[in-house]
Amino acid sequence: MMTTLRAFTCDDLFKFNNMVSLIPVCQYGIPFYLQYLAHWPEYFIVAEAPGGELMGYIMGKAEGSVAREEWHGHVTALSVAPEFRRLGLAAKLMEMLEEISERKGGFFVDLFVRVSNQVAVNMYKQLGYSVYRTVIEYYSASNGEPDEDAYDMRKALSRDTEKKSIIPLPHPVRPEDIE
Amino acid sequence: MAARGHVQDPNDRRLRPIYDYLDNGNNKMAIQQADKLLKKHKDLHCAKVLKAIGLQRTGKQDEAFTLAQEVATLEPTDDNSLQALTILYREMHRPELVTKLYEAAVKKVPLSEEYHSHLFMAYARVGEYKKMQQAGMALYKIVPKNPYYFWSVMSLVMQAISAQDEKLAQTMYLPLAERMVEKMVREEKIEAEAEVQLYFMILERLGKCVEALDVIRGPLGEKLTSELQSRENKCMMLYQRLQRWPECNSLAHKLLLKNPDDWQFYPCYFDSLFHLMDDSWTPPEEGEHCVEGSVHYTVAEVVRFVEERIKGEDSKESRPLRGPYLARLELIHRLREKGCPEESQLGEPLELMLQFFGKFGDKPCCITDLKLYLHLLSPDQHIQFINRLGEAVPLGEGGEEGFAFPEDTKALQRHLCVCQLSRALGLHHALDTDGKLRLITELKAHYHHGLQFGKTSLKTELQFSDMYCLMAAHVYIDLWKENGESNMVLQCLGLLQEGLSHSPSNAQFKLLLLLLYCHLGAFEPVVDLYSSLDAKHVQHDTIGYLLTRYAESLGQFAAASQSCNFSLRFFHSNQKDTSEYIIQAYKYGAFEKIPEFIALRSRLNQSLHFAQVRTERMLLDLFLEADIVLSLEESVKAMGLSPEEDDIPWDSIRDNRDLTVFTSWDPKDRHLTEEHRRLSLEEESVWLRIRSLTLRLLASLALLGHTPSQQNSEMANENGLDQTLQTAAQIAEKHTQYPFLGPPSTRLAPALSSGSCQCQVAALQLSVHLQELETLGLDESSELQTQICNGFKSLVVQLQEILNKCKGDLLEMKDSRLKTWPSLLEIHVFFVETVCIVFWMASYCAKVLRPLKASLQKKKKKKKDTNTPAVVCGFQEFTGSLQELLAQALEHIKGQETGMTALKLASFTLEGHTQEGSFIKAAMDKVQSSYLRSLQEVGDLLKKRAETLKNLKI
Repeated sequence: MMTTLRAFTCDDLFKFNNMVSLIPVCQYGIPFYLQYLAHWPEYFIVAEAPGGELMGYIMGKAEGSVAREEWHGHVTALSVAPEFRRLGLAAKLMEMLEEISERKGGFFVDLFVRVSNQVAVNMYKQLGYSVYRTVIEYYSASNGEPDEDAYDMRKALSRDTEKKSIIPLPHPVRPEDIE
Repeated sequence: MAARGHVQDPNDRRLRPIYDYLDNGNNKMAIQQADKLLKKHKDLHCAKVLKAIGLQRTGKQDEAFTLAQEVATLEPTDDNSLQALTILYREMHRPELVTKLYEAAVKKVPLSEEYHSHLFMAYARVGEYKKMQQAGMALYKIVPKNPYYFWSVMSLVMQAISAQDEKLAQTMYLPLAERMVEKMVREEKIEAEAEVQLYFMILERLGKCVEALDVIRGPLGEKLTSELQSRENKCMMLYQRLQRWPECNSLAHKLLLKNPDDWQFYPCYFDSLFHLMDDSWTPPEEGEHCVEGSVHYTVAEVVRFVEERIKGEDSKESRPLRGPYLARLELIHRLREKGCPEESQLGEPLELMLQFFGKFGDKPCCITDLKLYLHLLSPDQHIQFINRLGEAVPLGEGGEEGFAFPEDTKALQRHLCVCQLSRALGLHHALDTDGKLRLITELKAHYHHGLQFGKTSLKTELQFSDMYCLMAAHVYIDLWKENGESNMVLQCLGLLQEGLSHSPSNAQFKLLLLLLYCHLGAFEPVVDLYSSLDAKHVQHDTIGYLLTRYAESLGQFAAASQSCNFSLRFFHSNQKDTSEYIIQAYKYGAFEKIPEFIALRSRLNQSLHFAQVRTERMLLDLFLEADIVLSLEESVKAMGLSPEEDDIPWDSIRDNRDLTVFTSWDPKDRHLTEEHRRLSLEEESVWLRIRSLTLRLLASLALLGHTPSQQNSEMANENGLDQTLQTAAQIAEKHTQYPFLGPPSTRLAPALSSGSCQCQVAALQLSVHLQELETLGLDESSELQTQICNGFKSLVVQLQEILNKCKGDLLEMKDSRLKTWPSLLEIHVFFVETVCIVFWMASYCAKVLRPLKASLQKKKKKKKDTNTPAVVCGFQEFTGSLQELLAQALEHIKGQETGMTALKLASFTLEGHTQEGSFIKAAMDKVQSSYLRSLQEVGDLLKKRAETLKNLKI
């Protein structure tokens, strides 16, 4: 992969052009990035190539109730620029997020993915994630595409010794039912 | 919106419907409900504030403010009123009023943790660091919680960062902050990671690296657990600053052992080796080499270490990592720089790069990696290198045209990489015209062949072979630039349009199309291309220049205003956005992010592009509307434009443009250099200065006679403009050529060569003489009058000259190919801009002359003097000439429009009805339509100006 992995800084926003909108991934306004930087800076990691190009980034957070064993790491965004695909960078960034979540004593790591995005679903499966539940119409319609369901995928961390957190729910849920 | 959980309080129950109306955006009902409530309960202050919010949201700012101040002067201490006022003030963009509110509240309720904390945050919003420091301590005294104490410490650090005087920061604020933390350390009260992080920040800023190292390596450092490798990274940074090369070296190779792919530590490792060699470092006779462990202080050891990492990768079952292989090339590069003969121990770069290609050639990033080390090859190896790479690419049987194609995407990627490397070695550029045309045919064949691999891709995915298409476009551009043959650029447009049809989300296609259309003078297609890029937030700053450079200069004024608006909307939201997150960073203890957020805010506020769009937007508004919709004076006042105020931070201006947004595989000698960047910024700044001075001189012209200070600022601005024009002329003489994919040139050179700059200055300077005339009157000023009349004549001559430069066909058909003359179009725009300014001057002139003439007529009646003063005649002659000029210009534009519409693009038959031909045809249609639109906009504006001629009667 050959990468420098480091904390994301505000100046990186100015180098985003090859990655954020110039490829069609979700992208957010500045407030969104700043919110994550202010609250979970350690969960915001950027990968840089030897020539200084931004290769990709991961952005996440820790949330949930400890008492209910729902304290967990969440992957909010994961993005790899087209020219740095097929290097295992996404897997490396995921591994780092899991490690941070381990240290925080999380029970699991979770993420949402479009049901139609088979490539991503398969990648997450390879990384040890499984579908915990389906969230109906989690992604609202845009650009003429209809509403779409999401898979909530999870991977248990070592604190969840019995892997209770990843037992699939029998029925799909609605977005308002997830916390 | 506010605390609504306490149903016990009857006031809450009464207020609830108002909150609900506000939340639902039903402001009218909210106001009504509040009025109803206030009739019964006069003292329910919160209802007043909520009413004010309703008023504010329905555009009644003044009423809202008065009502709010009624409550504020009572210094409320109830939660509801305070929170509602906070919301209102925020919506009014008056955050400083929130501080006053809570200052009063904590005076009345001195033990309230909540109000003190609100006060702290209110100060944070406006950046009152000193008061934050005090508020933090006050909080800590009421409730001794660590975060409050450290809020106060952080506020000291912020005072240091924002201090104008670095000495004050180093001798007062930071040492005080350090002592505050040390006190907590001594008392063993340090609890959180954030507190250690802050301690580290303070020591680092004080340059106390040894102390910082002790903290990080000591027990406090154990708290740094959130960020991965946080302690190691910090240690490395400190070792480097302290020039502790043994530790640097040892830590670097330890970390590389753990992860041989973590690039950042290779440069550290190699650097430290050379420093150790320079210092002739030898290990101590006994014990550890250094606190971090063993040190590699000879080239041999480092070479062995790198070789071992490679062996490790070679013997792995799973896919090998690129790091060690590239590290070997990096080491050769560094050894060669140092002149170390050991370089040869690592092998021949050509062979090593072939080996790298063998392992990683099917990855899209192979080119990005290898291009860093192409300089390790000698020029006479280039062809050999490419040939040997070619041998390593599995291709199928040769097809009809003699091209052999890859059979899967991995082979495609390899073949593509070889093409990219040839281009990066300059082999494409060395080809003659025929060679380049053959290359284009080959690249296009590969592009079309490769489309089969992406038949099932999603619309949002790129095609595997897209890069061939882009590269063929680059070769077309090479040919176009060399031969000036517009056929090449049309073919290029056609190809890219075709590419976009197969790969609708390819941003590079869109960007290059956008640039090419602009170079051809056609802005109309650019609007859709840019909007499909879906540029967001910072991108308005980093790539917005692509739009704003061309929209106005190509005569698409409506689109130009819109482009400026996109950017301005983003910049204006930035202030609000950042302060919210500065506060959150305090709350969550992300102290190291606070200076970063503030730096982000200033980077955006000081942006070159921001200053440009601010200035151009106002100029555009004047060009399009002043004296047409509103008078110049009213327009200037509505903009709040002041001749004295220069709001551009000239000394700290930031060039945030992304000048490498275009993918390019050009060889190094064609890359954008630092010198290019510097020259481009210099040119942009001077052009901006000219525009900003023009704008402020126009403001002076509009406000002349209103304030005495006006004249001084006008003189100052005119002198400034004179000087700037001299600098500008020097810059324009340099004729700096930037790489085609680098920064665009500004409008500076054509503004000077067309004579429009000079004519605008002459017009603005005439106003000084007119002022003199106003004071002297008509009787005693014959010399001045002659001078003014000469000025009029000269302006007419200058305008005529600019107009003459507009003559000639903007579009031509040659051999069924469209040829464009974008520089002619640009002169049209300069002409119309200059006409606007001359007309404003003329209008001012009429304003001065009218009363003078009137008083003269009174006198005349008595004296029976029949001579009309020279200046009056001169002015009448002047307006007559202007009328003629405009008629001439409109005639010319009409002629252009007719000619252009008559151009038979349909007669274009070279490629018959091939698909390629149809894409080229579509591109030509777009260019033609855009030119027509530009002419229409320019013509419309001239017509509107012509109508204002009647106001110039005296």
